Amino acid sequence: MDMELIQQIRDKARNLLEEGTVEGVIGYERASDGLTARPFFAYEPAAAERLIFDETCIHDLVKYLLDKKGKKMAIVVKPCDSRAINLLLNEEQIKRDKVFIIGVSCPGVVETSWNRRSETLQARCRTCQLSKPLVYDFLVGREVARQAEEETYSDITEAKAIANKEEFWLEQFGRCIRCYACRQVCPGCYCPVCFAERLEPLWVGIRIAPEENRVWQTMRTFHLAGRCIGCNECERVCPVDIPLSLLNRKLEKDVKELFAFQAGLDPEESPPFATFKKDEKLEFGA
Amino acid sequence: MNLLASKDDLIRWLDSLLQERIVIAPVRVQEQTMFQPISKVEEIAFDFDNTTLSPKGWFLPPTEALFTVQRDDGQVNLVPALVERDAVVFGLHPCDARGIALMDSSFLQEPSDALYRERRSRTALIGLACRQALPECFCTSMGSAPDDPSHMDILLTEVKDGYIVQVVTEKGKALVPKGLAKYKGKVPTPPKLQAIPTMEVTSAMRGLFNDPYWERLADRCLHCNVCAYVCPTCYCFDVRDYSDKGKVERVRSWESCQSPGFSLTAGGYAPRTTKGERLRQRFSHKFLYFPERFRDVACVGCGRCVKACPVNIDIREVISDLQQLTEVKSGS
Amino acid sequence: MKLEYQPKVIGFLCNWCSYAGADMAGTSRMCYPQNIRIIRVPCSGRVDPLFVLKCFQRGADGVLISGCHPGDCHYTEGNYHTRRRFALLRDFLDYLGIAKERLRVEWVSASEGQRFAEILSDFTTELANLGPRSKV
Repeated sequence: MDMELIQQIRDKARNLLEEGTVEGVIGYERASDGLTARPFFAYEPAAAERLIFDETCIHDLVKYLLDKKGKKMAIVVKPCDSRAINLLLNEEQIKRDKVFIIGVSCPGVVETSWNRRSETLQARCRTCQLSKPLVYDFLVGREVARQAEEETYSDITEAKAIANKEEFWLEQFGRCIRCYACRQVCPGCYCPVCFAERLEPLWVGIRIAPEENRVWQTMRTFHLAGRCIGCNECERVCPVDIPLSLLNRKLEKDVKELFAFQAGLDPEESPPFATFKKDEKLEFGA
Repeated sequence: MNLLASKDDLIRWLDSLLQERIVIAPVRVQEQTMFQPISKVEEIAFDFDNTTLSPKGWFLPPTEALFTVQRDDGQVNLVPALVERDAVVFGLHPCDARGIALMDSSFLQEPSDALYRERRSRTALIGLACRQALPECFCTSMGSAPDDPSHMDILLTEVKDGYIVQVVTEKGKALVPKGLAKYKGKVPTPPKLQAIPTMEVTSAMRGLFNDPYWERLADRCLHCNVCAYVCPTCYCFDVRDYSDKGKVERVRSWESCQSPGFSLTAGGYAPRTTKGERLRQRFSHKFLYFPERFRDVACVGCGRCVKACPVNIDIREVISDLQQLTEVKSGS
Repeated sequence: MKLEYQPKVIGFLCNWCSYAGADMAGTSRMCYPQNIRIIRVPCSGRVDPLFVLKCFQRGADGVLISGCHPGDCHYTEGNYHTRRRFALLRDFLDYLGIAKERLRVEWVSASEGQRFAEILSDFTTELANLGPRSKV
């Protein structure tokens, strides 16, 4: 743990709370296992002492900003999380002047779950090219030049080679219990009424079975096409280990190749499904 | 009186059960273990810590059709769901057996749930004592223990030469194969667990109903349904009718009070609009309403929610917080 | 065309061009396979990918989306969005095991009745060769 970095976060948080600049600070604290981290909301200056930052701070906290609309909040943000902030700014779900961003130059986070922590960097961190958040008000940590691995989407290539794809995916979707944790944790999923909850028209219903689950998973992924910022929280929170990154990354790759677009890099850039090019040639011709 | 079954005896026994009954046992699925109906005894994962989901899914499936209404030649027929065969749930830990007993309190009280009752009466429980306590376990604080045979028909305890077979009920007695030797050896000491203070948790819950603690705790809650779905004693569900090509099916599926739309009424009014209210509801059900109704606290200390919660809302911590807050309030 | 296996095709045709084109095929007494069930939409851009997924969930063997030629959309831009959306969905469905040949996007104008008939004939033959969706 980098105590200097942590002290910088604590000092800044305390400061913001003492001066009343923000109503609360969203950050991380030690979890009940004494080993990993969990989200933490500090409302009083003294509570700032509980804030930490280390390689177990895997959670994307940006989703919580949508619960605190109208309140000015500070938030601890990793470079990947800053893409979520850009996404929500682009989609006008948060106002820039309502967020004080404490950006962290993050060296990467590890594979971790409750009471279990490894030293293996998460796959998404190995290919991350961002040495500091894309947007911030206050930066902590030493900005170190990243030695990112090249993103080859080898997992997608492997998934494309599966012999009986439909059988594989129906088996994966067969395990889904429709807890909707993937949707709840995702910063991009914020519809007041999700299509899966609609009764009229009835798209999915309450039956929990492979075919219905496939409609749910496929459509949620598709609603994130050109919007998913690759935080991988969906896969992390899934209680039955469905490889959701294989879905989101497939669309991330295609959107990159077809439209030269990556979500969350520029809050002003129009997303690919809100725009078009008149003369573009896509798979089925002009 | 305890009997001894060698590993081979056990496999033969399970095989014979499989001939006439559905056997639900722990099965390795990718990196996890789940309770599933098996087709061969080889599928059983005998070495497992704990399953991700509890065996409640056999008695209250994630989805089931309660009945179908069909129109054939002008006749309207209501076809209730049938329980086809007897079953055995094998390998459940004492905490899960207690979980089923707690669900019985609700589902078997009159008027009882017909499908649940049928399945329950036709299913035998062959449990497995725990060899080790996991970091998330706290069953001894919740009325159970790693070697507790209550609520099972048979309890197996692993020893060097196989399994001690402890018959608990008449139903269990009828299932034990003939010819097993008596077990005269020592019964292994069960693992020691951390104790969490659960004194007066019900009155603590009652006293803290309006405390701002719940909204603060719920700040990090994602209001997904994971805690309720992995829990052995959570049993909320939704019922809808679906019609398709002249057939109407009444479907019952898992739901949970954590879902924002769960308590939404037809007029559009939702009594639990904030995350704090919904989180408080789940804990109130477990520690206040259920014990007020049925005497027992509706938690068995299996720790699955502790492990599965993506944001570490730890039920043991909540109980401890409630105790502390009550002490502070009463000035002690 | 006598086939043993008759693929079920759902067609989303835009009101202004493709539906009129199909209508023209009909009034001109052109023969085309009866495997298609046509759903008229105001614009191909109305077609939600969810419609396509539901079609496949409910047993369709093929889905056809047909709209005005790019540049000729009655609502000016609808079909540009269609084009992007379904370029992505087609490959995604293939990735999930629903062969990309089962989803077709075509541009058929109101005067292209003959073309509509040909497209449908071609699509139905292709689907027949692919065979029914495997029962998993």
